[in-house]
Amino acid sequence: MSNMEQPLLQVRNLGVNFRLEGGTLFEAVKNISFEVPKNSTVALVGESGSGKSVSAMAVMRLLPRESAIVSAASEILFEGSDLLKLSDEGIRAVRGKDVSVIFQEPMSSLNPVFTVGDQIAEILCLHMGLSRAQAWRRAEELMHEVGIPDPGLRIKSFPHELSGGQQQRVMIAIAIACNPKLLIADEPTTALDVTIQKQILDLLASLQARHKMSVLFITHDLAVVGEIADHVVVMQNGEIKEKASAKQIFETPRDPYTKALLSCRPNVDERPMRLPVIADFLQAGGAARLKLEQRRRGYRDDDEIVLEVKNLSKHFRLKEGLFKSRDVAAVKDASFKLARGKTLGLVGESGSGKTTVGLTLMRLHESSGGEVLFDGVDLLKLSEADFMKYKRRIQIVFQNPYASLNPRFTVGQILMEPLTIHRLAAGNRQCIEMAMALLERVGLPEESFHKYPHEFSGGQRQRIAIARCLTMKPDVLICDESVSALDVSVQAQVLNLLQDLQDEYRMSYIFISHDLAVVKYISDQVMVMSDGDVIEVANSDDIYLNPQQEYTRQLLGSIPRGWQGN
Amino acid sequence: MTSRRGAITWPENKKGNGVIAYIFRRLWQMIPTLAGVVLLIFFLFNWVGGDPALVLAGKITNPEQIANIRRQLGVDEPYWYQLWVFVKQIVTFDFGRSWATNEEVSHIFLTRLGPTLTIMLPVLVLETVIGVVLAIGVAYVNGTVTDRMIMMICTVAMSISFLVYIIVAQYLFGFRLGWFPVQGWSESYWRNVTTFAPLPIMLAVFVGLAPVLRLYRSFFLDEINHDYVRTARSKGLAEKIVMLKHVLRNALIPILTNIGIALPGIFIGSFLMETFFSIPGIGREILVAVNRSDFPVIKAATVYLAMITMFINLLVDVMYKVVDPRVTLK
Amino acid sequence: MSAVLTQPHPSRQRHSPGLWTLAWRRLKRDRVGMLCLVVVAFFLSLMVASYLGIVAGNWSNEVGISYANPLFLAGEENLEAAHMGSSASAAHIPVADLSAVDPLAPRYREWEERTARIQVTETPRAETLLLGGDKWGRDVLQKTIKGAETSIFVGLTAALLATIIGTGLGGLSGYMGGRIGDVLEWFYNVFTSIPYILLILSFAAVLRQGLDTIIFILACTGWTGIYRLVRSEYIKHASREYVKAAQAIGATHTRRMFVHILPNVSHVSLVQLSQHVVQFIKAEVILSFLGLGVPVDSVSWGTMLAEAQTELVIGKWWQLAAAGVSMAILVTAFSMLTDSLRDALDPKMK
Repeated sequence: MSNMEQPLLQVRNLGVNFRLEGGTLFEAVKNISFEVPKNSTVALVGESGSGKSVSAMAVMRLLPRESAIVSAASEILFEGSDLLKLSDEGIRAVRGKDVSVIFQEPMSSLNPVFTVGDQIAEILCLHMGLSRAQAWRRAEELMHEVGIPDPGLRIKSFPHELSGGQQQRVMIAIAIACNPKLLIADEPTTALDVTIQKQILDLLASLQARHKMSVLFITHDLAVVGEIADHVVVMQNGEIKEKASAKQIFETPRDPYTKALLSCRPNVDERPMRLPVIADFLQAGGAARLKLEQRRRGYRDDDEIVLEVKNLSKHFRLKEGLFKSRDVAAVKDASFKLARGKTLGLVGESGSGKTTVGLTLMRLHESSGGEVLFDGVDLLKLSEADFMKYKRRIQIVFQNPYASLNPRFTVGQILMEPLTIHRLAAGNRQCIEMAMALLERVGLPEESFHKYPHEFSGGQRQRIAIARCLTMKPDVLICDESVSALDVSVQAQVLNLLQDLQDEYRMSYIFISHDLAVVKYISDQVMVMSDGDVIEVANSDDIYLNPQQEYTRQLLGSIPRGWQGN
Repeated sequence: MTSRRGAITWPENKKGNGVIAYIFRRLWQMIPTLAGVVLLIFFLFNWVGGDPALVLAGKITNPEQIANIRRQLGVDEPYWYQLWVFVKQIVTFDFGRSWATNEEVSHIFLTRLGPTLTIMLPVLVLETVIGVVLAIGVAYVNGTVTDRMIMMICTVAMSISFLVYIIVAQYLFGFRLGWFPVQGWSESYWRNVTTFAPLPIMLAVFVGLAPVLRLYRSFFLDEINHDYVRTARSKGLAEKIVMLKHVLRNALIPILTNIGIALPGIFIGSFLMETFFSIPGIGREILVAVNRSDFPVIKAATVYLAMITMFINLLVDVMYKVVDPRVTLK
Repeated sequence: MSAVLTQPHPSRQRHSPGLWTLAWRRLKRDRVGMLCLVVVAFFLSLMVASYLGIVAGNWSNEVGISYANPLFLAGEENLEAAHMGSSASAAHIPVADLSAVDPLAPRYREWEERTARIQVTETPRAETLLLGGDKWGRDVLQKTIKGAETSIFVGLTAALLATIIGTGLGGLSGYMGGRIGDVLEWFYNVFTSIPYILLILSFAAVLRQGLDTIIFILACTGWTGIYRLVRSEYIKHASREYVKAAQAIGATHTRRMFVHILPNVSHVSLVQLSQHVVQFIKAEVILSFLGLGVPVDSVSWGTMLAEAQTELVIGKWWQLAAAGVSMAILVTAFSMLTDSLRDALDPKMK
């Protein structure tokens, strides 16, 4: 840190406990200290449960009154005065005026029954003493500043009438309306598509420069941090692992956790055989980067084709008005081939139709046309009874680990269910043995058999879901955004597991994701989709180095590059 | 979780050109439901209800006279014919005459409507207003001892039968203290409102307040946990404004739904009070009809109230659009 | 991802607690809830004892004097009993000779002598009873217990039936959707278009009076709330990923409905059952009060309240108090138990 003047925000010895049901206390933040200098961007990085959001909310005293306890030794000094010691009135004067916040989910953070103009004007009337008419005029100016097209028209809209990106821009407008000195951004782009994310990040950077305010940016994505932050604070389990300037963190990280966090995320430029995890760094001693063997990927001409899809289409019928109904084409005309033992990556933004392709293949949706050729048979034309025989051979792992396991079944029951349905085991004893063997294969302890899903973390639940699919020894496994909801380090572990299983069982994967870096890492061939259309299909290396279509280029250009060494 | 995060949704048609179509669609959908109600009532009264001729004939055992009564009532006709007659009656709003008093059924309803509404409309209004005010207050102090005590009192209050309240109130305020007449009704609207109506109204509001308070409190608490409340606080707004402006406005949505559900009930909900206080309202009339097996009255009441209920539901759904901008009428 | 509390370490036990065990543990920690459970259990055992005739078997016997005072008012005057007594003794006033107008008059004396000779064991009527007596001297305490049996029995049975109907139809409608769902929705709309009380009264008007009739009526009109809730639960769960996963691995419709989804919905049904018991007890009391409920030879809290209405004017308040208070205790306990059950099965921030 170069300037010696007093930092804008000083957090000292912050400790936050939560009261859980049954009276137990949970330590969310354990005695941390960090600073935010004037006119700079500090990134607070960590995975879920690290305490980063809790710390940020503590600054504004927005933690839930009933369950959160801030320790007495905590100090939060803003321009010298302790925010924790202010009266209710005092902190209200600071909120929205000197320090403001933008949240992760803009749709639920805006009041659904008031227009966006009202909500921006409200803060202007409160802190700046403007009249209603003046406030509305200023609100329109702000909406223009944050890049909302047609502000005169949009100012009268309700939040649900705007897209996610526009809603977040409205939140930003509210936040900067009174020229705050500090802006706290709590994962503002996590819920947005990658192209929109880039726009919002650029917007925040330009606003920061123009208004000379400081930004405390909370995120789990190190690539984003590399693009915008001056200083970085890395947290894990309520503690600070490392804090330094961005240059130091990215070029010479010291803590093993930081190193792991930096490396375990697939990089678009490399493809190691296995993604490194924290354990690898702890063993490697002080090395900042691990030298890893690279894996080559791509379809070859002599590959056996296990699944071929021709002209697959899926329409949804939406009722509209009294007699009309509208056809929405989720998938228009998709054709691709899947080679044995290889991975096909399906990539696109939300609404592109990639998930629909996966679900339609498995006949979880009824297709509107096309063929799915498996083992010489068109799966879409089979009757329900005939299809049962093939169900075992194509399986799917869903996105949400918290929703894909039946909360009332034990893990054992979850694993034995497919064995029972397809009669794959000769008796109860063998059933249990098979299930136990699979638990071990996916890296879960034996006791898991009798436990319920709620006792496991997200990554562990995905392993259980994978084990469930393995019970049937499928030829094809569809991974529908299976790692998207996981923390980066956990994601790496699950990706490694999937790769091990593919190497061992020669399963073919269809890997659906919006995350371009992950898709490039794990796929041999990549298919890019947008709005139901297939934009491009090519070997993964080729598509990233040499994209043929404009949309693909745009998509690749939006990926945060991370630290570029400025 | 596939939401259209990246797509742009332009604002929908703002003015009500979809509303008329919606109303017509709903009216069209009401027909099968109404048909179902008619069938149900017909089934109950013309089939299950047994031979009303025997009921009315009383002690007359002369089979000729019983057959005569049957003919008069029209129950000797085949079922499909009876159904046809019933449907005609509904469409022309003419249900014939009461079996007991021979008064025209439509006349019965028209004259009894007044007293019922004189009591029930003020009750509904007072309950809602007082309920909302108290509920906000209780939700504001959520988690404190006051909150728990008030909820406890509500639970106990709700467990005492309405009958006990009426009996005690009549005894205490009417008989003992003499503040209000124990029973009665008059022709003069003004006299009703000042003398005869207050005790029943206050009683109904007092008893009805406990469940309303519990319900509205839960609405407010649900809203308080939403993200937009955190945003409002982060703007620096005082807690009072957060509750009265942001939370209340959103809570109005379920409150409106609740009023919509309660509204059809006002026509019959007062039947106990009307019985106790001798108020000549619809509720009491129906109760008397049940005791006397006066089928035309009960049938008419049921069909009319079913229709009123459906119209009120439609009205509430259209009003929804005003209260909740997210709603698209489908 | 905003702050998600990390999962606690998987415990070392062999068998993990399932939903019901966890809920039971939570309920045990709730002292108020446990107290209510005890009270409800007490009433239930009272009901069973009464049904078996162990207690309150002789409730209809007129064991006390008319309007007998309860124990705590033992010394008070009982004008009514005195009045009744005097009218009984009025029979001994010598009758004037009416032989001119009454052809039977000469025979009265003969009959009187004959009746005096017949031995009738008349148990002396009690001056006071524990909770007092009603107009005919029946023991209020026994009536209260018997009334409890009636009301609780009706409430429980009707609630059980309504829950079964509502859950079954709701599950079918929510899961299958399509035509079946439409037909069931139509059915639901028909029943809910008619105001609840009116529906009950309509049924009561055409069916003959009786205990089974009330149960039938309450169950047939009260299933709609449960149907609505269970249906929306099934709709919610049917689109959840674990059900899609079950479909993907090859589970049939029936298997998905009963083996996979039902265990996730059953706690909703249980809470609804509990709520409806309360609702039906209150309804039965009102129906019996109006004379549309239990047959004339049985007793219910409702019939007691009906008698109490006129009794209050002459100052006899114990029947009102006994029925009112015992009902209040039971309904309060049951209501609070329902709340505790709901919190135990589905804990949320209050």
